[in-house]
Formats: sequence, C-alpha cells, structure tokens
Amino acid sequence: MNRDDAKNILLLYRPGPADATDPQVAAALALTQQDAELARWFGEHCARQEILRAKFQQIPVPAGLKEQIISEQAAREKAAVWQRNIPLRVVAATIVASLILAILWLRPQGGDNTLAIYRNRMVGTALRGYAMDLATNNPAQIRAYLELNRAPADYVLPGPLQNVAVTGCAIESWQDAKVSMICFRTGKPLPPGVQNDLWLFVVDRASVKSAPSAGPPQLAKVNRLVTAVWIQGDKLYLLGTEGDAQTIRRLL
Amino acid sequence: MAKGVDFESLVTRHYQPLYQFAFSLTRDEADACDLTQQTFCIWAAKGHQLRDETKVKTWLFTTLHREFLGARRKQIRFPQIELDHAAAELPVVPPTSLNQLDTAQVLAVLALLDETYRAPVALFYLQDYSYLEIAEILEVPIGTVKSRLARGLDRLHQLLTRGTATRPPTQPPD
Repeated sequence: MNRDDAKNILLLYRPGPADATDPQVAAALALTQQDAELARWFGEHCARQEILRAKFQQIPVPAGLKEQIISEQAAREKAAVWQRNIPLRVVAATIVASLILAILWLRPQGGDNTLAIYRNRMVGTALRGYAMDLATNNPAQIRAYLELNRAPADYVLPGPLQNVAVTGCAIESWQDAKVSMICFRTGKPLPPGVQNDLWLFVVDRASVKSAPSAGPPQLAKVNRLVTAVWIQGDKLYLLGTEGDAQTIRRLL
Repeated sequence: MAKGVDFESLVTRHYQPLYQFAFSLTRDEADACDLTQQTFCIWAAKGHQLRDETKVKTWLFTTLHREFLGARRKQIRFPQIELDHAAAELPVVPPTSLNQLDTAQVLAVLALLDETYRAPVALFYLQDYSYLEIAEILEVPIGTVKSRLARGLDRLHQLLTRGTATRPPTQPPD
C-alpha cells in the first residue's frame, strides 16, 4: 500500500470506532505512523470530518416532535381498536336487539305473569285515559254494541254491580282478542271532567294464559286501583276501582 | 421478534437521529417530520415482524429511506460505481474554513449532491454506522456504499471548498 492508496482508503475514515476495525483502514492507519506527509494530510482530514460530523449532528429537531409521534400513534391505535371491534359491536347489538325483540314477543304469552300483565294493561287503560266507543246509561245498548262488534257481550254481572250505573263502553284488545270495557259511575263525587270510577273488563278466558281457575275473586292492588279477577263460564272478569279491598268486595 | 420493544421508548431513542437523517435528505422541516412520523407508524404496523431486536435502528433508517424514495416517486435504478483508485489528488479543504459554515450551509451543499450520494453521506456523518450497516440501511452492496461515499464526499468537499472560497465576509473590513 502506498500513500495514495492509503489516502483513498482514509478518505472514508471517520474518527471513531466504526471504521477502525476495517482491515484496509487499519493498514492505512498503520502507514500514517510511518509517513509524515500522509500523517499531516490525515490529521487535516480527520479535523474536517469531525467538523462536518458536528455540523450534521447539530441539525435541530423540532420541539414536540416526539410527543406528536406518540400521541398520533396512540390516536391511530385507538381508532384501529374501535374499527377492529365494529364487527363485534354489530354482533353484540344484533344479539341485544334480538333478545329485546324476543322478550317483547314472548312476554305477554309466557309465564306466570300473564295475568299480571293483562291486569296492568287494563288498569293502565282505565287510569291513563280512553275514549268510550259508546256513552250510554242503558246496559242493553252496551251489550248490543259489544255484540255487534264481536266483543264479549254475554257477560254476567255480580249482583251488587248490577245496581251501579253504567256510563258506556269501549272495546280494547289483548293478544288479538277483544276485551269489553264497561264503564260505571258509583255515585261518589268525582273531579270535574271525570265520568267513571269503576271499570269492568271482560275477555275470553282462553286469551289470558295462567288465568286463575274458577274460585273466589283474586284481589290485587295495581297502581291506584284495587282489582278483583275471577272466572265465570268461559270469561275472565277484571273489576277495578279506587279504594281498598272492602270497596271492591262490596261490588262482588 | 421485536414485540417486546416499547413504542414510546423506541421513539425516545431514535426520533432525533431519524429526523436529522430525514432533514438531511429533504431539507424541509415539515417533510422531515412527516417522514419520521411515517417511519414510526410503519414500525407500529410491521415492526413485530422484525425478528432481531438489535436491528431495530437499522430497520427504522431503512424504512425512512424507502419512504423518502417512495415519496419522490423516483424509479431510478442506481448504477453501482466502483471506487476509483486513480483519484489520488483529493481536494484539500482547510478545517478552519469549514468551521465558519453553519449547519444550514452544509446541508445546502449536501442538497447539491445527486440523491444517490446524499443518503450515504448523511448517514456517514450523522451516525457511527459502519459501511456494512449503511449498506444494510440503503439496501445496496457494501462496495456500492463505499463508491458512493467516495464520490459523495469528494463532491461535497469540492463544493464546500468552492463555497467557502467565494463566501462573502460576514464583517466588513475595517
């Protein structure tokens, strides 16, 4: 290796550990120990390399770049996780919706609560407002109207109830069956605008699953009303009024 | 696999040299930030495929360089240039003149180099990478790295010499 060879090799030399291990560089470095001219050139070369190296390493890095990289990656991952979970969310939503639909579909038909649900529905109708299809004090007209509209009309009123004045009727529905709603006024003082304070609902017994068997009326308090449920013939009767058990027993 | 590499600590360790490399290639702060960010983004997506954790830094620099080339949409097939042993007479740049330059001026001169030479020269000065590592980063043979460095440094020194020789004085003469 001569001086020019050594210069060619050392041109790529940087002071530091990275290049010194290269065998060619090591040989050229050894030559600088023997050649004064080469040593002088090499000294200047190393000084230039150091300066240039320092210049490159002085490139300023924008403040906040690190935080920006980390935060944007975090946001990207968050979005990716959300997107990855979309099928799972759709499946979960579908399952939940199906369950809700199944519950809504099955609820009125199944279980021991059927009568309770029916009772709640009818009490709710009485309390939350309804429009009488027929307003009359004539019980015969009520029966005729119900019969004409294929609602239960052959109901049997308990003795005391036969003495209470009717005010009209309406036809409700339960599980595709018609419910006859007969409205009464017991004679108690009522707030202005209120016409009725006693309601009788009659429906085919078969329409309400888990309906009680024949026997004494079952009393239950539902909302503001006290109710009595009993079976007679093929009909289920539900009577409701404000008051207590005694109040309703006096009407049965 | 490099699954155990924590993203935040990885960024902390490497974002500065990566940005400096990106800036030396683009000379534009926004572009350099984008390149650096994109590199870490690719790491987050594909870094787990890297089997040797000691190669993380090289992987990052390689990825950044690829992204730079991709962004430029240059379909250049770089020719391999063997080191010219005949170039015995090399330009001599006095160290004192170089010292008067600031980083921006050095980078401006670097930008005058052909893109083929720019990346190896920047890696040469920015990092203590061996030629083999620079070859890995740039995905070229080591002989190509040496030849590009020789040409690139030669050209850089020439330009710096010219630049410092023609540079106007910063202070008016008394």
